[in-house]
Amino acid sequence: MDRADIAVIGTGPAGLEAAITGTLRNKKVLLLGSADLSMKLVRAHEIQNYLGFPAVRGEDLAKAFQAHLDQLGIGITEERVSAVYAMGDYFALQAGEKMLEARTVILATGVVQGKRLPGEEENLGRGVSYCATCDASLVKGKKVAVVGYSAREEAEAAFLSEICPEVLYFPMYPGTSPMPENVKVMAEKATALEKKDGAMLVKTGEKAYPVEAVFVLRDAVAPGQLVPGLETEGAHVKVNRRMESNLPGLFACGDITGTPYQYIKAAGEGNIAALSAVSYLDQRKN
Amino acid sequence: MVKKIDGQAFESEAKNAEVAVVDFNATWCGPCRMLSPVLESISEELGDQVSFYAVDVDENPEIAAEYRVQSIPNLVLMKKGAFVDQSIGFKPQAALTAWIRGNL
Repeated sequence: MDRADIAVIGTGPAGLEAAITGTLRNKKVLLLGSADLSMKLVRAHEIQNYLGFPAVRGEDLAKAFQAHLDQLGIGITEERVSAVYAMGDYFALQAGEKMLEARTVILATGVVQGKRLPGEEENLGRGVSYCATCDASLVKGKKVAVVGYSAREEAEAAFLSEICPEVLYFPMYPGTSPMPENVKVMAEKATALEKKDGAMLVKTGEKAYPVEAVFVLRDAVAPGQLVPGLETEGAHVKVNRRMESNLPGLFACGDITGTPYQYIKAAGEGNIAALSAVSYLDQRKN
Repeated sequence: MVKKIDGQAFESEAKNAEVAVVDFNATWCGPCRMLSPVLESISEELGDQVSFYAVDVDENPEIAAEYRVQSIPNLVLMKKGAFVDQSIGFKPQAALTAWIRGNL
């Protein structure tokens, strides 16, 4: 695939406005997200302060956004981006098995709800992993635990059970499907992780389970995890007024940059982020 | 240049280097593949002060175990074979260069 000028990740108001502005400025835009746009927007009951749309239902605003995209011929590429690597003069975006490329990136993925477990971040890479397929071979033959936040992660636990004799699976959601024999589905929820005597402990309300490594797997990844090296403040990306992050060529807009979580603010920031990306691209040309 | 080494060369070369940065990686690891050109570029910048090596954890599980590599990519910085610091996961060039310089 050709290298895009601007990869926009996210299809809420911020991402859509960024894609529209980038396209109007004649840049080659790769818009990544969901064809359903943003579930948060679609489900919004009524929005009362979006300029030009008094008391509009989220669903209707989404339809108006879609019509705007159609009018400009902007398509949505339905890919889940799991990592963005700053390679220097371009960015590599991991989407499933594929690696996409873009000169600039605009992050508009919304804000990640949900907290990390105590002990999760400080033990990352030292017993806590976010990637079963990456780190599986390092725990071959050992007892491991998986903390899964969605049914999608059951496949990862099953994969680990092929190389580990015992896998403790802590579902953080209700209901699990049948799993391989050596995957033990736990009835308790994980509440904290701790490193003790070289082993990792998965703590629940009453008990602590020692394992070699813990895989914490969630759908939504925190921005600092999505883009290694990105400067963040809590759940938000640190940006300036031009929506520039600390990584040259990478911009952020919308809820991911912080409160207020308002649709019109998100769209406005999407506009700024795209214009900043355009000027970054134009400067590099000379 | 980042030199790919095995267990023997690790003992004889990497452990004797004044300052060595060892990239623990594997062929199937996506972030490792992205990190290697970045490290290659850093090695051109800092090659006169630091020796750069790459170790495949599948081929050399014993070295990975010795340095407690539990997650890759994993850069271990050592001086005369003594562990100084490690950097886990992909990082952009500027961040890694600063990390190495900070440990010199």
